[in-house]
Amino acid sequence: MTREQRRKAEGGLALTLSTLAALMGLFWLVFILGDVLLHGVKSLNWSLFMNDPAPPGVEGGGLRNAFVGQLMITLSATLIGVPIGVLGGTFLAEYARGSRIARIISILSDIMVSVPSIVIGTFIYAILVKPAGHFNGWAGAVALSIIMIPVVLRTTEDMLSLVPWTVREAAFALGAPYYKVITQVVYRGAATGILTGILLSIARVSGETAPLLFTSFNNSFFSYNMNQPVASLTVTIFQYAMGPYDNWHEQAWAAAFVITIFILLLTIAGRLIIKWRYR
Amino acid sequence: MAGGTEIEVKGLDFYYAGNVHALKKINLTVLRNSVTALIGPSGCGKTTLLRCFNRMHDLYPKNRYEGEILFQGDNILSAGTDLINLRSRIGMVFQKPTPFPMSIFDNIAYGLKLKGIKKRTDLSERIEKALRHAALWDEVRDKLNASAYDLSGGQQQRLVIARALAVNPEVLLFDEPTSALDPISTAKIEDLFEGLKRDITIIIVTHNMQQAARISDSTGFLMLGELIEFGHTDRIFTAPAEKLTEDYITGRFG
Repeated sequence: MTREQRRKAEGGLALTLSTLAALMGLFWLVFILGDVLLHGVKSLNWSLFMNDPAPPGVEGGGLRNAFVGQLMITLSATLIGVPIGVLGGTFLAEYARGSRIARIISILSDIMVSVPSIVIGTFIYAILVKPAGHFNGWAGAVALSIIMIPVVLRTTEDMLSLVPWTVREAAFALGAPYYKVITQVVYRGAATGILTGILLSIARVSGETAPLLFTSFNNSFFSYNMNQPVASLTVTIFQYAMGPYDNWHEQAWAAAFVITIFILLLTIAGRLIIKWRYR
Repeated sequence: MAGGTEIEVKGLDFYYAGNVHALKKINLTVLRNSVTALIGPSGCGKTTLLRCFNRMHDLYPKNRYEGEILFQGDNILSAGTDLINLRSRIGMVFQKPTPFPMSIFDNIAYGLKLKGIKKRTDLSERIEKALRHAALWDEVRDKLNASAYDLSGGQQQRLVIARALAVNPEVLLFDEPTSALDPISTAKIEDLFEGLKRDITIIIVTHNMQQAARISDSTGFLMLGELIEFGHTDRIFTAPAEKLTEDYITGRFG
C-alpha cells in the first residue's frame, strides 16, 4: 500500500467510526422520543386535562391535579430561583468582578450544577419536610429553585461579562451611578442571553423527579394548597408506571408525552432567542 | 476664541494599582474654548492623563492620584468631589464607538434622563439639537427608533459625540476618537471640532500628529509619564524647544 492509500484508508476508518458513534447516540434518542410519541399520542385525550384521577383500578379519570400541581411548583420555583440567580450573577460579574470571593462562588455553582438532584431532595426533606411534619408543595418549589439558582447565576454572570467594559465606562462617563449602569445599560445588552438561561433552567427542572419525591411527594386530589403534598407530572409518571393498572400506564405515557413537548418547546424558544440575538 | 483658564493641572502624579508610577509631576493649563492635544508614543501616559480629568480611574481599585487638578478653580481630586456631577460636566468619547444596546433616540435620551429630563417634547428637541451639533441629524432623522448598532462605525462615533453633547458638558475629553475610523469619517469628526469649541473646551488624545497639528490650539508631548513640552501647537510643531519633542514629531522614534 502506498502512503497515500494508507492515509485514505485511515481517514475512511475514522469517518466510519465517528459516524457509527453518532448513529448509536441518535438511535437511542429517536427510540425513546419515538416511543414516548407513539404511546403518548395514543393515550392523549381531553379527560386527561379535565378530570382528576379515578380511584385505583377504575377506568377513566385524568391528571388535572398533576398538571396544575406541576405548574404551581415550577412557577414558584422560578419566582424563588430567578431573582436570586440573576442578582447573584450580577454580584459576581459586576460588584465582585475579579475578586477571590467571586471566583470561589463561581466554582461552587459549577459544582452545584452537577450535584445529583436526589441529594438536593433529601437535603430539603431534612430542613423543610421533617420540621413541618408532612410533605408540602413549598418544599418541592424550594428544591427545584435550588437546582435552578446555579444555572441562572452562571448564565447571568457569563452574559454580563460579555458586555464590553467600554460600554459601562461610556455610561459612567455620562455621570450614571453604578446601579443605573447595570440596570439600564448592561442588562439591556445581556437581556436575551439571561432570558435564554432562565428558559433553559425551567426546562431543566421541569423534568426533575427525585427532588420532588422527597418534598412535594404526590396527591391524588386536586389542590391549590402548597402547604400540603402537591401532585406533579414527573412523580405521577413514576408512580403510575410502577403501578399495576393498564390505564395508569397509558396515562403515564400521555403525561410523559406532554412534559417532553413542554421541555422541547422551552428549549426551542431558548434557541430561537439566541438565534435572533446573534443573527 | 480661547478664554480664561478652564483646567489647571498642578504637580499631578498618578499611580496605577501595584504602584506603577504612570504620571510624573504634570503641570499644564487648559484654556477655555480651546482644543488641547496630547501626543506621545504608546504607553507614555496620555490616555492615563486624560482619564484623570473625569476621575475614570476611580472605577478600578487601588489607583491613586497626588497633586491637584483645578477645574474652574476647584480641586477635582479632593475627596469630597461628586463624581456624578463631575462627569456630567466633563464628558468623554472613547476610542471605539460605545453605543448602548438601544435605539438611536434612547442612546441620546439616556444622558438627559440621568439629568432628570423626562418630557418627550424636551427630549426630542434636545436630541435633535445634539444630533445636528454632531452632524448626524440628516443621516438618522428618519430612523431615530432604529438600533444604534445598525449605524456604521463613523456614524456610531458621531452618535456617541451627540450623546456626550446632549447633556451640555463644559469640557469634552476625546480618547483617540478617530483611530478606529476610515479617513472620510475621520474628516467629518475633525470638522466638528471648530464648531464645538465655541461652546466647550476640548482635550484630545491622538496618535496622529497631523490631526493634532490640524485641530488643536495647544499641544502637550508626553513620554514615559512626563510632560516633556507643552505650548501653542504652531510653536510645538515648528520650533520645539526640546530635542525629544523634535525627534518625535519628525518621526525619528515613536
